[in-house]
Amino acid sequence: MAAALALLLLLPGALQAQVPLPQAPTIPLPGSGPLLPPPPVPPAVLPPALLPAAPALDAPPADPTTRMARPALVAELSQQTVDITTGFTGTQLLVFGATDRLLGPQPDGTPGDDVLVIAQNAPEPMIVRRKIEVLGFWINGPSARFRSVPGFYVVTGTRPLRDMLPDIERSTKHLGLDKLPLASTGVQDPGYREALLQLKQNAGQWREQETPMHIAGSRLFRARLDLPATVQTGDYQVQVLLVRQGRVLARQELGFRVERVGAAAQIAEVAEQQPLVYGMFCVLLAAFAGWMGSVLFRRS
Amino acid sequence: MQVYLPIAEMSVDAFLLLGIGFGVGWLSGMFGVGGGFLLTPLLILIGIPAPVAVASGANQTVGASVSGLIAQWRRGNVDLRMGGVLLVGGFAGSFLGVQVFAWLRRQGQVDLAVAIFYVVVLGSVGALMVRESVRAILHRRKGKVGRRLHAHFWMHGLPFKMRFRKSRLYISVIPPVLVGFGIGILSAIMGVGGGFMLVPAMIYLLGMPTSVVIGTSLFQVVFVAANVTLLQAVTTGSVDIVLTLLLLIGGVAGAQFGAAMGTRLRGEETRALLGAMVLAVAGSLLWGLLRTPESLYVIGPLP
Repeated sequence: MAAALALLLLLPGALQAQVPLPQAPTIPLPGSGPLLPPPPVPPAVLPPALLPAAPALDAPPADPTTRMARPALVAELSQQTVDITTGFTGTQLLVFGATDRLLGPQPDGTPGDDVLVIAQNAPEPMIVRRKIEVLGFWINGPSARFRSVPGFYVVTGTRPLRDMLPDIERSTKHLGLDKLPLASTGVQDPGYREALLQLKQNAGQWREQETPMHIAGSRLFRARLDLPATVQTGDYQVQVLLVRQGRVLARQELGFRVERVGAAAQIAEVAEQQPLVYGMFCVLLAAFAGWMGSVLFRRS
Repeated sequence: MQVYLPIAEMSVDAFLLLGIGFGVGWLSGMFGVGGGFLLTPLLILIGIPAPVAVASGANQTVGASVSGLIAQWRRGNVDLRMGGVLLVGGFAGSFLGVQVFAWLRRQGQVDLAVAIFYVVVLGSVGALMVRESVRAILHRRKGKVGRRLHAHFWMHGLPFKMRFRKSRLYISVIPPVLVGFGIGILSAIMGVGGGFMLVPAMIYLLGMPTSVVIGTSLFQVVFVAANVTLLQAVTTGSVDIVLTLLLLIGGVAGAQFGAAMGTRLRGEETRALLGAMVLAVAGSLLWGLLRTPESLYVIGPLP
């Protein structure tokens, strides 16, 4: 894999000509030209099997002299779909890639670049209720409604987020758990927002990881995303950001989808689309099981 | 062995579910209760979302009750006539109960209302049963003749009298219809089969002998639980067939063992045990309402 990525870095020209992709383009760093002029290699020389699905590169410019600079950041996901089968107990996704300049702290003391990975799914409305005591009973009292709350939100990076970016940058780009845009209607007490943060983190669905990502050879990075067994189905978005001296310089957006397959998916589909048939089938199945039980375990 | 539940969207240990199903099925065969009032809280305790727990619990109750019903039928313990009359009231009551439940949901206090219903009904039923059966056991030990469980209420003399041979009763049909109706409403609101309310009502209000009560109550529970399952599947789609299947396999086995064990007990002892169990569940629910919660806040998807 490292060899393939190295090929990727050295031959952007060949790749541009070969693979058009729908993903968002990397934003190259202004003013940093390639260290070496990419050697022109005809595409036919490279067997397609060696090249992993190339990530975001723009449509190639017609004139080869205006070839784009080597991308500052390149990233990929280990899988694009997560299949939930009958024996699903959670899984792990890898986000990996390479950068133009060196990553992480260097032996000569200069700080290198940093990479930030944020994974989240489509936000949904949620409600936070506060319990109050009335005559000794604890009942649900006032509530705050949050319009868009991501069900899953994980932040990981080569350094803790707070060390990488200053507060201003994090606020404007909404990076990090404390900068999530959580507009609410209902009771305007900050306690509700804090409760939402606390409870989501307790459930393991929102995480801001302190342990840094793995870096290999100051060029390659690898992050692991843990998806629990209770992961929600749907589309997930993974942002990979290149950070240098407190500024975000390049951004790549990847995506994956979690869906049920096989028997689990068919059952869920029938339950949704033909509920009456499904309900009757469940009842009849239960009655039949009851009869079978009385026959098999007869004790009279 | 972990198995993934498609509707609950989580994976649980299959053997744990089999065990829970067996335990609850055992109770249902023994006491003539569906076990829903135990099963739903147990499922929620192991982390299954509440709507799926209620709906799949009702589904499992159908299976375990059918199994227990067949076992009791073989022993000649089912009064079909009385069961039919109760059922007429039960269907009407459960339809009304569903409307009340929907109204409570719109008010946003359905958790509290259901919990209070549970505590009040379970508490009073359990207390009455324990008190009466303990008194009967003591009387029996002292050698006194078993007194009649009920005085003939004025209600029994109402018009439309029918002969219920299996129950050895000749009473008006109005009390059974009213009993079925009342319990139907409560079943729909609390999401249970209603057996634990029906059994004492049949014994104390209608005056049926305990041996026939269990089988006839199971008859009612089967239909009410089937009704709840269908309504849940159609309105919220929260019946998880994989969860139900695992609970069923344990449940129908357990119901047979429970039924065999139940016939060995005398009426008073059965009532005492059931009353004690019902009281225990009521007590734990009351404790849940009164104790300071771990977190003052609760989050959930917008209904």
